[in-house]
Amino acid sequence: MVNAYTVGQINKYIRDMFRQDYMLRHLYVKGEVSNCKYHTSGHIYFSLKDETGTISCVMFAGKRGGLAFSMKDGQQVTVLGTIDVYGRDGKYELYAEQILQEGSGLLYEKFLKTKADLAERGMFAPEYKKPIPPYCFRIGVVTAPTGAAVHDIQSISARRNPYVQLILCPVLVQGEGASKSIADGIRRAALQNVDVIIVGRGGGSIEDLWAFNEETVAQAIFESPVPVISAVGHETDTTIADYAADLRAPTPSAAAELAVFDYREFQDALSSYRQRYQNDMKHAVLAGREKTGRYERRLLSLSPESQLRMKQQYLDKLEDDFRRNMEDKVSSERRSAAERSDLLHRMILERIRTAEYRYGMITEKYSGISPLRRLKQGFVYTELDSGRALNSVRQVKKRDGLLIHVTDGTVSAEVTAVKEGRDDCKEE
Amino acid sequence: MKLEDLFKKLEDTAQKLENGEQSLEDSFSLYHEGMSMIKACRDKIDTVEKKMQILDEEGGSHEF
Repeated sequence: MVNAYTVGQINKYIRDMFRQDYMLRHLYVKGEVSNCKYHTSGHIYFSLKDETGTISCVMFAGKRGGLAFSMKDGQQVTVLGTIDVYGRDGKYELYAEQILQEGSGLLYEKFLKTKADLAERGMFAPEYKKPIPPYCFRIGVVTAPTGAAVHDIQSISARRNPYVQLILCPVLVQGEGASKSIADGIRRAALQNVDVIIVGRGGGSIEDLWAFNEETVAQAIFESPVPVISAVGHETDTTIADYAADLRAPTPSAAAELAVFDYREFQDALSSYRQRYQNDMKHAVLAGREKTGRYERRLLSLSPESQLRMKQQYLDKLEDDFRRNMEDKVSSERRSAAERSDLLHRMILERIRTAEYRYGMITEKYSGISPLRRLKQGFVYTELDSGRALNSVRQVKKRDGLLIHVTDGTVSAEVTAVKEGRDDCKEE
Repeated sequence: MKLEDLFKKLEDTAQKLENGEQSLEDSFSLYHEGMSMIKACRDKIDTVEKKMQILDEEGGSHEF
């Protein structure tokens, strides 16, 4: 009996052979998709075929990140993966890690490769990025002489600052020789004593933009002594040139906005500085004037004249005080004199009142013996024409006039008879 | 001097003036300096409207 191998041994032997082959570990295979099945497990089973034959392929669910489009039969694709043996069926298969559509996919792959290479060489490193000067007066523009990009850059530049000089270096931006043309354009622009270079073009397909993914362009940007702003395609397009540039603008218009400083803003800034200076100067002058004024007042207060005035003032005050003291004294004396005279007056009145009282008392006492009182009792006082009192019949004769005084008046009378001797007269 | 340097100096000068610690003479010379910088800034801009120049591959240039 010959020494036979088992199926398992053979399959294992072949698998080991495959696994030892370096090329089969990592390779690209291109072909047309057929029998494509998206399994519910998440794995994708398909075949690649060309005119000569087919190869079975699997993309496991865990690798689905490597497929960015919906794969269908008939598509031309390139698959990156590993060839291995599937023992159960005794056949080899391609285990896919990335599937790229023919065309864009290949370019994308190339893009990634170039990007990785250049990144490794430090061409995108932030430490090599040159700052874009805020005030650029001469701006190099490396783009096609016709088309949207140059037009946009020119109109935005003219709007923001018509005094900025644009220098256009016309280049081919797509097709055969475009990358070399762009690289040359950058070098030419850099020699024109410009402050910044804008390199770019308007939007297009990945193939249209391709020149900006070439290493030559990246190299020229990297080596430019003048800062470079990249402006390729639309917002969403990112090229190698964008990574290499000192600043990436999403579009050519945006690049112009970034490179060209706004003239009105500049003028406004200048005016505001002028205003600030003038205000500050005004304040400084005012403050100086005020300070001077303070010193002036202080100094004036120390002048001999002012000293003299102060002494005069002091003297005046003294004089005033003196006078006031004197007046106070006089008036107080005057007051006390008045007080004294009042007292005197009161005392005299008192005396008078006492005297009057005593007089009253005496009058009262003497009124009892007054002739007037006799009159009240009916006695009269008779007067002769001569004015002498009648106290004897011998003083009168018939027809003589008499004046008789009673308490409330006088009575004129005429003597009708005279008779000597008393009859009813009573002496008290 | 570059325009951005001039602007930096303008700002510095304005701040010095604003903090008010300078003597009046110094303020005045700062003011003077600032004003002449402003003039220099204005002069920096050659106010002649520029047409785009095209630089051909031989190095000659003409207006766009």
